[in-house]
Amino acid sequence: MRNLGSLWLRLRGLFGMRNANDDIGAELESHVAMHTEDGIRAGLAPEEARRQALIRLGGAEQTRQAYRERRTLPWLETLLRDFAYSLRTLAKHRGATSIAILSIGLGIGANATIFSMVSRFVLRPAPMSDPTTLLAVHTTHDGDQCCNSFPYPVYADLRDQAHSFSGVAAYNDLIPASIGGSGEPERVWGQAVTANFFAVTQLPMILGRGFATGEENAQEVVLGAALWRRRFNADPYIAGKPVTLSGHAFTVIGVVTPAFHGADQILYTEFWVPLGIAPLLAPNTPSQSERQFHWLNVLARLKPGVTPPQAKADLATLAGRFALTNPATDKGNHFVFEQAGSLPPRERNTVLIFLAALSVVVLLVLAIAGANVANLLFAQAAARQRDMAVRLALGATRARLRRQMLTESLLLGLGGGVLGVLLSLWATSALSDFRLPVPVPLDISIGIDWRVLVFSFALSIASGLLLGLAPAWAASRPLLANALKGEDALARPGRRFTLRNLLVVAQIAMSVVLLCVTGLFLRSLQSASTIDIGFRTDNLLMMSFDPSVHGYTPERSVNFMNQLQLRVAALPGVLSASVADVAPLSGYGRADGFRIPGSPDVDSSYVNTILVMVTPRYFDTLGIHRIAGSDFGSETANSTRVAIVNQAFVQQVLGGRNPIGVQVNGAGVLYRIIGVVGNAKSRTLGEETLPVLYRSLQQTIASDPSSMVGYTILVRTAASPNSLAQAVGSQIYALDRSMAIYNQQTMQEHIQAAYFLPHLAASLFGTFGFIGLVLAGVGLYGVMSYAVSRRTREIGIRMALGAQPGTVERLVLRQGLMLTLIAVVLGWPAAWVLSKLAATFLYGIQPHDALTFAIVPPFLIAVALVACWIPARRAASIDPMQALRTE
Amino acid sequence: MSEKTDVWQGTLALMVLRTLESMGPLHGYGLARRIEQTSGDLLQLNYGTLYPALLKLEQEGFIASKWGTSENNRRAKFYELTKAGQRQLKRCAADWEQTTAILARFLAPAEGA
Repeated sequence: MRNLGSLWLRLRGLFGMRNANDDIGAELESHVAMHTEDGIRAGLAPEEARRQALIRLGGAEQTRQAYRERRTLPWLETLLRDFAYSLRTLAKHRGATSIAILSIGLGIGANATIFSMVSRFVLRPAPMSDPTTLLAVHTTHDGDQCCNSFPYPVYADLRDQAHSFSGVAAYNDLIPASIGGSGEPERVWGQAVTANFFAVTQLPMILGRGFATGEENAQEVVLGAALWRRRFNADPYIAGKPVTLSGHAFTVIGVVTPAFHGADQILYTEFWVPLGIAPLLAPNTPSQSERQFHWLNVLARLKPGVTPPQAKADLATLAGRFALTNPATDKGNHFVFEQAGSLPPRERNTVLIFLAALSVVVLLVLAIAGANVANLLFAQAAARQRDMAVRLALGATRARLRRQMLTESLLLGLGGGVLGVLLSLWATSALSDFRLPVPVPLDISIGIDWRVLVFSFALSIASGLLLGLAPAWAASRPLLANALKGEDALARPGRRFTLRNLLVVAQIAMSVVLLCVTGLFLRSLQSASTIDIGFRTDNLLMMSFDPSVHGYTPERSVNFMNQLQLRVAALPGVLSASVADVAPLSGYGRADGFRIPGSPDVDSSYVNTILVMVTPRYFDTLGIHRIAGSDFGSETANSTRVAIVNQAFVQQVLGGRNPIGVQVNGAGVLYRIIGVVGNAKSRTLGEETLPVLYRSLQQTIASDPSSMVGYTILVRTAASPNSLAQAVGSQIYALDRSMAIYNQQTMQEHIQAAYFLPHLAASLFGTFGFIGLVLAGVGLYGVMSYAVSRRTREIGIRMALGAQPGTVERLVLRQGLMLTLIAVVLGWPAAWVLSKLAATFLYGIQPHDALTFAIVPPFLIAVALVACWIPARRAASIDPMQALRTE
Repeated sequence: MSEKTDVWQGTLALMVLRTLESMGPLHGYGLARRIEQTSGDLLQLNYGTLYPALLKLEQEGFIASKWGTSENNRRAKFYELTKAGQRQLKRCAADWEQTTAILARFLAPAEGA
């Protein structure tokens, strides 16, 4: 307390300094006067008495200084003075300051943007109460990749027998429903949860409550906050009111906090219903007694005082017990867990590698920017050497000068940090606009949160200090004699490679790495856009609907789709139409192993094949080349199963033999092949061409209900597809007024989403590569102009002795090119090694893409030539008379 | 020991507090002279260090200061003990007595032997 009080007084002492100085002056004056009087009284001469008094005081000025240091906080005082002085200096060199702040700002902006992804996907805890004691539990199986979800009975056993948890809840991934409320019916995604879900997660509710024990089968729903605002106008009295979900009456019992839209933080779900009622909305929901079908995600709340290792041991014991009681299903099963809301374990590694690669790249950008600023500070230090020398000669310590210089670079760092955060605000909102090529709702938006702010602040301070260190060190050690004479005092005699040259070499070498990576991703985007996707994307309209969530039986669904296809095909401007269970390039699709009957029934004779359900005229509508056989006709559920396969299927499953009439076996079902079509990309752009087997939708929909993503009608139009969207939509409504339409878009828009990864990577790396290139160019330019200005006199003498302007120009260019060449020789192999990291994310090109690696060095040398050209011209235009007369 | 001794680190504050307690308000010069007198002129006080020390005590709230007039009609700053200062003095005095008592035990047998 005493210390705090006196600290406050000393802080106050910082201001009102002048009064205090007068005060101590007067006090010391009266002290000396009294002492002198005493001396006179003791018999000394007045002069002598005063002299003695002053000696005993130990020097009035020193006392005053000691007093002032005690009175205020000297370090804070000098710090403030340094800051004020630095601000003045920076404001005076406005050009250099702007370039420095812009450089650091770009570097820190890039880092903050990438870190906001890290913060969003890796660091952010789930928006549930006390996230550290909430675990997401998964099952694993010996020899399989991590991780799988739970069958209901395993979940129930775990819930009842585990000792480490106060509660264990389960939920399924996604459940679609068409929801009533204001406006046309809307298809939304929700989750089915166990009744204890809200108790275990302790989610805050903005109104109403979560499910209670005993409500496992209640027809009740909890709404997400966004859905509640969007469809129910944020009705404060909604709790207890009825709402229709896919034609069934549910009672709203609560609205959950806006931050929550699913426990895993990636899926964007908007309503929650009890698990027992899920079959009402999703007829293909697995049975709760089925112990083999893994479909539930599990969240477990640790009991107070139980540590994760204890829970791990508990789960291991349970896994052993279940393997004994249910050997058929549970043998070899184990449990693993991580904190709820972490990245899904299956995707974690890919995401982490991607983020790590990006982090390396943005750190390179920052390092290049930093080298630039350090060079700039060196130039400034050189320009201020006389100032420094004078201050040293007057008695300033080197430490004091260094602190002064460091304060300046620290301010530059902070300024850059502020700019960087502003830049990343813009960048993160632009990145959040990217859409993933999947039909389910994802929330992958990123933004600046407090973690990003702390990170950026720390990075600004660190880069400010690091950048300033070397120049500050150099500037505080001028060769005094040279400086005061007005000669260059920082250039030590006999050194060919200065620190500045080293910096610029490092900078260009890093640019080589950055440019190679950028080149790879640009080439990847180029090659992705020339991928032959196997169908025509122009004038194609898509619209999705899902009769199954409206309680349609398979027969009714087939009827609905037949009628719809007829009605739409009859519209003016429509060339043809077809319905499929999944549109191409949607990022997913069913697959099964296929083999020829008669081949041995072992794993190796099965070829993984993608299954697509389509109605007749699918190939004409999409423009997929029909090679042999016929199209689907009027197949029915009872006739022989027929199929049309692509060429890859003929090659890989049938070994190239004539496929027409051949029977193939897929998951126990026999299909007779009636036609062959050309290859087309089915799930993603980057995939190898896979065998595809098209089935008749009319024939298979009953025995094989589609996944939860519904059906898509594809419409080939004569003119712009958007002009027909309304007409097609009204045909759907004409058949069923309550049918929800979703994912309405043109194929071109759909394809844009499929280019997500190459686009994202190319825009990120392209931006960073460009920034790095510009920074390195500016850096080289700075170093060369500085070199020219330093050698003005030397060049003047050379020219006076007869050197031609051309010779001088070459002299300067040669020096710049030398630096560039050294850098390229250093950077190229590093890029060669590092590019392997990028391999996972490249489309259709090798990581050691010859074109990229061949083009980058000459390109960089060309940029370097331009950067050196201006200083070289300046050197060549030096007037010898003028140069020799300088000073 | 006839040479004059410098003031040990940390004891100046105690001397100032004790002197102010026994003498009442004093100005800096008077305080310095009084301390020297009390020591039987064995202590040589560096007047230059006295003022920062007084400022520190004042910042810590143990003494208070105000401008007044000296016996010779000269303007001077007078220092006096505060309540907190009296408590601090008791604490320091007790500490110091204990320290000297301990030291005395160490020194006594050495002299006897």
